Amino acid sequence: MGESMSPQPTDAVPRPLQNPACVANAAWHSLLWLVLANSIGVLIAILLLFPALNRGLGEWTYGRWIITHMNLELYGWSSLPMAGFLFVVYGADRGLAARWCRPVLWVWSAALGVGTLSWLSGNSSGKLFLDWTGYARVCFPLAMLVLWVLLTASFAKQWNDPVNNSLLVRGGKVIGLALLMFVPAAIFIASSPNLYPPVNPDTGGPTGASQLESTLAIVAILLMLPFGLTTRKMGQARKVTATWVIFAAECLLCIALGRSDVSHHRPAQYLSLASLLVWMPLTPYYYAAFQWRPDTRRWRYAFLCWWSALLLTGWIFFLPGVLDHFKFTDGLVGHSLLAMAGFLSALLIFVMVQLLGEGSWIFNRTWSFYLWNASVVAYVMLMSIAGWREGFDPTFSIAPGMARSVIYVLRLLVGVFMLAASLEWFIASRELLRESSPVPESLPLELEKTA
Amino acid sequence: MFDRYRSGWQGVCLVAITYVYFLIFAQFAFLSRIASLGIAGSHLKAVMAAMAIGGILFSLLTPRLKLLPSPDFRIRIGFGTCATAAFLTLLPLGIIACMAVSLLTGAGLGLLTVTLVTHLRQWAGDRHPLLNVGVGTGIGYFVCNFPPLFTASPEVQSFTAGLLCVAGIGVTLSRLTTRSEQRTAEEGLDQDGRAEKLPSGAKAQVNLKPSMYGLKPVPFTAATYPQRTFPFIRVLVSFTALVWLDSAAFFIIQNTPELKAGTWEGPIHLWVNGLLHLVAALASVWFLSRRGLSTVLCAAFVALGAACLLLLDPSRASAASVFYPVGVSLYSVALVAYPSLIAPASSVAERGRQAGWIYAIAGWCGSAMGIGMGQNLGYVPPVFVIGAGVAVLLPWVFVLFRQRRREALLVAGTLIGAFILERVLVVGPGSTQVSQIARGRQVYISEGCINCHSQYVRPNSPDVLLWGPVKSMAEVRLERPPLIGNRRQGPDLSEVGGRRSALWLKAHFYDPPEVSGASIMPSYAFLFRDRRGDDLVAYLESLHGPGTEEHQVAERLWHPAFSAMAKADVSEGEHLFRLYCATCHSADGRTRQVWKPGFKRLPPDLALGPFFYLPPSGPVAQRMDHLAEITKFGIPGTDMPGHEYLSDKDIASMSLWLSQLATQPDRKQ
Repeated sequence: MGESMSPQPTDAVPRPLQNPACVANAAWHSLLWLVLANSIGVLIAILLLFPALNRGLGEWTYGRWIITHMNLELYGWSSLPMAGFLFVVYGADRGLAARWCRPVLWVWSAALGVGTLSWLSGNSSGKLFLDWTGYARVCFPLAMLVLWVLLTASFAKQWNDPVNNSLLVRGGKVIGLALLMFVPAAIFIASSPNLYPPVNPDTGGPTGASQLESTLAIVAILLMLPFGLTTRKMGQARKVTATWVIFAAECLLCIALGRSDVSHHRPAQYLSLASLLVWMPLTPYYYAAFQWRPDTRRWRYAFLCWWSALLLTGWIFFLPGVLDHFKFTDGLVGHSLLAMAGFLSALLIFVMVQLLGEGSWIFNRTWSFYLWNASVVAYVMLMSIAGWREGFDPTFSIAPGMARSVIYVLRLLVGVFMLAASLEWFIASRELLRESSPVPESLPLELEKTA
Repeated sequence: MFDRYRSGWQGVCLVAITYVYFLIFAQFAFLSRIASLGIAGSHLKAVMAAMAIGGILFSLLTPRLKLLPSPDFRIRIGFGTCATAAFLTLLPLGIIACMAVSLLTGAGLGLLTVTLVTHLRQWAGDRHPLLNVGVGTGIGYFVCNFPPLFTASPEVQSFTAGLLCVAGIGVTLSRLTTRSEQRTAEEGLDQDGRAEKLPSGAKAQVNLKPSMYGLKPVPFTAATYPQRTFPFIRVLVSFTALVWLDSAAFFIIQNTPELKAGTWEGPIHLWVNGLLHLVAALASVWFLSRRGLSTVLCAAFVALGAACLLLLDPSRASAASVFYPVGVSLYSVALVAYPSLIAPASSVAERGRQAGWIYAIAGWCGSAMGIGMGQNLGYVPPVFVIGAGVAVLLPWVFVLFRQRRREALLVAGTLIGAFILERVLVVGPGSTQVSQIARGRQVYISEGCINCHSQYVRPNSPDVLLWGPVKSMAEVRLERPPLIGNRRQGPDLSEVGGRRSALWLKAHFYDPPEVSGASIMPSYAFLFRDRRGDDLVAYLESLHGPGTEEHQVAERLWHPAFSAMAKADVSEGEHLFRLYCATCHSADGRTRQVWKPGFKRLPPDLALGPFFYLPPSGPVAQRMDHLAEITKFGIPGTDMPGHEYLSDKDIASMSLWLSQLATQPDRKQ
């Protein structure tokens, strides 16, 4: 399977970007939202320490900022790098289509701006991470659809391009487009208050099967990414194929578990979730089968480390007794941050470093790399300590004392560090934008090909 | 080299002094002084009109005056006139004299400001003239917010303003021209070696007496700074809109005690305001040099517009107090820098005429209109803010559209398309069909309560006793959507209706820390300005299931652990009492005072009793047990809440303290 899906093995370096400005723009937009979301995170940390400041914010109180913070991290920072990835995969960064990459990114950002105003104005669906309601619920999926149209148009235009000469490559991209077409509709439908995923009756949280399902979706993305980013090394086809076979087996296991309200105390739930631990060694093994730019090493290792930590702690936190202790505490908040700021951020930056090529310097400054990752480690540890205490004594969080305040102060400090690192990347991305050649206004694809 | 720096400092001083005079005297002390002289109503309007007439007249006349060709001499006359006016206000003036002083102030300011910006290049130096303007403006505002000066009497402020004007004369007298300046002035060349276009008469005078007339040619051109060639009229309109907003906001804050308290009362506010002004002035310099005038005007509008909108609600005055100084300083730097350094002008005379129009129309008329709006309306209508936004932002939007046509069209198309689709796809129930509880539930969702409060009692866990009873999964799934939440920074609320009264909930929304000890929950008093607050209370009151009575039996069976009782600390109990209970159970408790009429029965003063829910007699241990149960779970059917989340030791300490208080009434607080 891996053999058939991969491009022809080659020792050549990854093919150069046709127009680096497209990916640079995607990086700039995503970093813009990261900085904004992190700034809101710092504001939230300040409000926890000084709740009286809420009065100065009028109706824009803590609860509304939390919603905004989470959604911007998810739909801004975590999503836009993938738009850059899709530009490259579907050739939107080449030819006439490249002129439309920046407008499409602005449409996405405008939809997020609408969302921000909507959340701060008190419009919420009540569903965490699917918080689209009213006008924003239509606007954001429509922005996604605009991206899809660009990808489809550029792919159609380059149908006969040598990059797409293989039937399987074409087929894979068509399937990808078909799946992407459903994402806006899925977001719109899933935001409905009438739909709710299976619930673990002992905690009120997700079931083991749900977690397995969502993690496998991430695994699928992890397995697909290298095909859009680089080429496979010679003689590694078996490695790749074996990994996909294991993935298929896990999918069958997930289907067998079904979707119902099941407790985490059921051995079938936590044992099936344990099957995910196989991806701790398997993911680095799989990624070693592909060629990567040397400057991706730092972030590649970081994302693989975070991924392993996420899988292991995710499983431990789900175990009976452990989940009962940590549910509804800061311990799980820390774990979410491990997922978002640790694993996902490192993965996205790794992807952007690979895509940006010469422009990857914006993410590779030593101090910001260590500052970000060390801050995430510190944050997760702080929240774990708080969650541990809270599991014994709910007063620890509800009526804060000195220990809790100290944790809040440290949390604020760590938040400021993360903001500083993201700000450094954002400023650097502006420089990169200036350095990048402007998007050609009238360079037809044919001319480009002959060149 | 030294002279070059010094000449720059002259510009800084002159700009700073002019701003201090205008702000602390003309806008502030003079008004207070005439109010103290008993001048009000139509007389006040007449006095203010005299100042405006003087200002407009001399702003327009100054560039056209042939009598006083030397800028140094003119500016000294301007400062002298201003100083005279300031000193004269110290006298016991009548209405006519006040009008005369007011006219003098306006005339002096008109002469001073237009002369200053027309010839600023000769005082602001040729190294960083824009930076000097920014520093001067920032210092000017900072000095005005210096607490001892800001809070001084009008007489002291007037005297200080007068003295500063005298100092301004001194600054212009100390001017020495460098050799290079003399050379370029004598040759009539700019830095690039081009002849500056000056009126023939003026040029002749330059050649004759350059050091005296100070007509130093332009050391840089307008093109030094990034700018787009906006028509002068557009810039004028933008400045007018900004001054209008600024003056209106200033007047409204100054005359609304509630807003004044939240913005510039108290030394901390003043220091912060001063620093914000300084930082914003420097930011304005950065923006002007890097991004151009339009960015500064747009940013200033965003800040001032936000301040005006925030001022509509006194509870947001502190947020407005951040935006207001930022907006003011952003455009104030531009107000000096544009006519003096940035505006394209073919001659000094043209620059002067531009400055005259800007100060006459934007400065004086805009200011008068803003004050009038403040006087007549008492607020800045949002429609006006939108109108001002169109005036300021439209040119910028137009340029942006030309540069980013594709982005603009695609974004606009998507937004419009989404608007149409939303009308077609999403059909919500009419508001009249929604019950109060359903509306309250929506408020709960809108405010993000789910981020701090769960609504899920985990079976077979300590949750059951604290927040129970447990709901079935079918009940949970009936909710659209279930509001389970994922975090508890406050109590679980799935059964809150059985544990808290409507009065308690309302009092808590108004002031959580007062009602719930060290609660970090923000105040939601704003929800009660309309029906949202009552809707939310109704929703929370509705949150209780059929198992409530059964659960109350379990609560009555609860006792603190023996180990906790053994560790009970009476002094800790007293501390906890003051934190959680005194607000209702002491005679001067705030909640007790504020919500007195709302209680089902006024909570007993625990220093005195009577204790309706305590057995009249019995062993101390039994009494403590009973007190512990009440403290932990409250009294059903009354306004007495529980403190479920407190530890057994805390509950034991409180019950120990309370039992001693109840048996020893002499231990009154």
